[in-house]
Amino acid sequence: MQKLYISGNEAIAYGLIESGIKFISGYPGTPSSEIIPSAQKIVKERGIKAFIDWAVNEKVAYESAYAASLCGIKAAVTMKQVGLNVAMDPFMNSAYVGTDSAMVLISVDDPGPHSSQTEQDSRFFAMGAKIPVFDPSTIQEAYEFAKKAVELSEKYSIPVMLRSSTRVSHGRADVKIVGSMPVDSIKVQFKTLKDWEKKLWRYAATPRQRLMLHNKLNKIISEIESLNELKFFFHGPLLLISSGAVFSYLYELIEEYGLHEKVTLAKADMPYPLKNFDFPKFQRIITIEESTPVIELQLCTEGRRNGIVPKEGELTIEVCEDILEKIGLIKREKRGSSPPLKRPSLCPGCGHRIALYAVKKVFGKKAIYNGDIGCYTLALNFHVTDTVLCMGASVSFAFGMKKAFSLAEKQQDFVAIIGDSTFFHSGIPPLIDSVHYRVPFLTIILDNKSVAMTGNQKTLSDNKSSFGETTAPIYIEDVVKGIGVKFVETVDPYNFEDSIKTLKEAKKYLKEKAEPAVIIFRHLCINTKEGLELNPKYSVKISKELCKGCKVCVLEFECPAIEFKDEEKKAKINDTLCIGCGCCIHICPTKAIVLVE
Amino acid sequence: MKIVILGKGGQGVIFFSRIIAQAAINRGLSVYSTEIKGMAKKGGTVEIQMKIGQGMCGLVKKGSADLVILLSDDLIDYAKTFGNNVFTFKKEEIQAALERVSMRFVNIFLLGVFVKRAKFFEMEDFIKILDEENRESFLKGYEYV
Ligand code: SF4
Ligand code: SF4
Ligand code: SF4
Repeated sequence: MQKLYISGNEAIAYGLIESGIKFISGYPGTPSSEIIPSAQKIVKERGIKAFIDWAVNEKVAYESAYAASLCGIKAAVTMKQVGLNVAMDPFMNSAYVGTDSAMVLISVDDPGPHSSQTEQDSRFFAMGAKIPVFDPSTIQEAYEFAKKAVELSEKYSIPVMLRSSTRVSHGRADVKIVGSMPVDSIKVQFKTLKDWEKKLWRYAATPRQRLMLHNKLNKIISEIESLNELKFFFHGPLLLISSGAVFSYLYELIEEYGLHEKVTLAKADMPYPLKNFDFPKFQRIITIEESTPVIELQLCTEGRRNGIVPKEGELTIEVCEDILEKIGLIKREKRGSSPPLKRPSLCPGCGHRIALYAVKKVFGKKAIYNGDIGCYTLALNFHVTDTVLCMGASVSFAFGMKKAFSLAEKQQDFVAIIGDSTFFHSGIPPLIDSVHYRVPFLTIILDNKSVAMTGNQKTLSDNKSSFGETTAPIYIEDVVKGIGVKFVETVDPYNFEDSIKTLKEAKKYLKEKAEPAVIIFRHLCINTKEGLELNPKYSVKISKELCKGCKVCVLEFECPAIEFKDEEKKAKINDTLCIGCGCCIHICPTKAIVLVE
Repeated sequence: MKIVILGKGGQGVIFFSRIIAQAAINRGLSVYSTEIKGMAKKGGTVEIQMKIGQGMCGLVKKGSADLVILLSDDLIDYAKTFGNNVFTFKKEEIQAALERVSMRFVNIFLLGVFVKRAKFFEMEDFIKILDEENRESFLKGYEYV
């Protein structure tokens, strides 16, 4: 037994590896991204043989981990909540088919949302799929529930979900860890199973057999449900039910306000499937949970549906306090409001900035820019992104909108902007359609050889896996040409003149040939060690005499290292932030930004 | 004790907080914290909320922090929403840090300054957990005060 000060995601990784999980796949997404690197570290340090690495998207991640579990290897898959949407098809199906070894899905929710498109509740998806779901309230529980999830999955031969959330995954605590890792050898079997003939139908079931599988699943779920009791704390006449991080806030507030005699607090370690309870001794029963009424619907209590719990937003400890006040349990002083924080922008020297500045220069403010999910979403700030929906939608949006405009016989330029890993994740299928239907718009692929936004994970362009094994790099150019795009050019956006020239050619091509065009802007993410080391370094300054105070550099280019001094009405470079990339010398209309020789 | 540590991406706020946490754990205290780093790399705010020796989660309610450690002056208004006891570094201290240690260790130098001035923790707690390079910068900060 040891005590480690670790994050929720690290705790989950420990729980999985200690339970003998040997196959983990996933796709990066805040707040889930640290589970895979942590698990990699643990097995590397202990010399445990395992496959733990990233997949091209969540669907592939889910299917490959699930396949491994069908061969008898304990497997897990990690993703953020919106990633589960991508993996929905195998997720739903796997509940029916079941597993032969453990299969644990870790889906991390982001109520707020802090860094996501939706506040969806993975527990609700688990309920929809009829998959049991654990919901840890603390970092310690994240570790323990990861183990319980593996156990339950093995015991009943069905996939089990471990739902975490931003606060648990990105929280830290001193966690008690057993620390012993199984080093057993890996055994697989599939067609070699003794009763293979009898089992086969399950793996390739016909619709009629699916009905039988559904019936089998229902029986398993009822059994798990009958054993799934709530845990009770304190002993008042009012019952509050909760799960996940919110439980810990309520527990703390009850202690802080001394509500021990007024409230009973119940906790669902596994919010689905819940045993139906009879609560005759309580005056009122209210469920306070994040984000969808999962417990509330199953136990038919008060809560979100009658307006006690807010219908959107994170249930922070302050919001829980508001709820207790609304119920009439406490009175508290009014809080002041928080001042707004500075919005984020692309890093100083980021290749995306100068690339997209060039795009804007050639295609103009009237063009419609269909953006995507990645650091480059921040191009919103300097007006080179008009739409952002979900992974890969930049290309489908440009396709759909361009078609819509052409139906109305209206001329309009469209530019889809997508990063390398998002392109592989789900940008390829819409590009195939665009080629097939000959829809003329430009796709910009920003290739920085990194999944930058979620912490610089490896990409498909790498020639080494996370374990140092040789991998085959996938070349975007080959893929794009293979689909049938005829205009495919690659430019380093730091060569500004080249960018402008290539963009103009693309514009001409779209007009004359009326077919899709692709430009790949390739420049390493300077937020990586390699990227920063290889980046050019200049000394750059803004001449006070030449600066006319037009603000193009701060508003239209938005390098955080360029500050505008309101008193002097001049721009100035902040030397501690500037990385000396030299990109800004191209953008000042009066050429006030210059290299210092 | 409830602490909030505020700064910007690239300031080593997270490392700063982890050292404090480790010092407390070595004293046998429980530590819960939460890290909100959003798009920290892009100059965004990094916010650590921490409970030492109490509670079940790392979240610190607005207005309830015993101490707010501020590494980036422009966040002062935000810092005050957590509590009135805001620890800030003086201009000379930051200047001294920049002059006396390399960029990577500025946060550790400031940690030394903090430990000496705030008197919340003992110097020895930190000496034990820091490696050699860090210890040196820490002591420089500690002795600067
Ligand atoms: S992390 Fe990399 S890609 Fe993202 S903004 Fe910074 S430099 Fe650009
Ligand atoms: S773009 Fe040039 S002239 Fe305009 S504010 Fe910046 S430095 Fe000054
Ligand atoms: S050289 Fe210009 S664009 Fe590059 S980081 Fe410095 S200020 Fe920003």
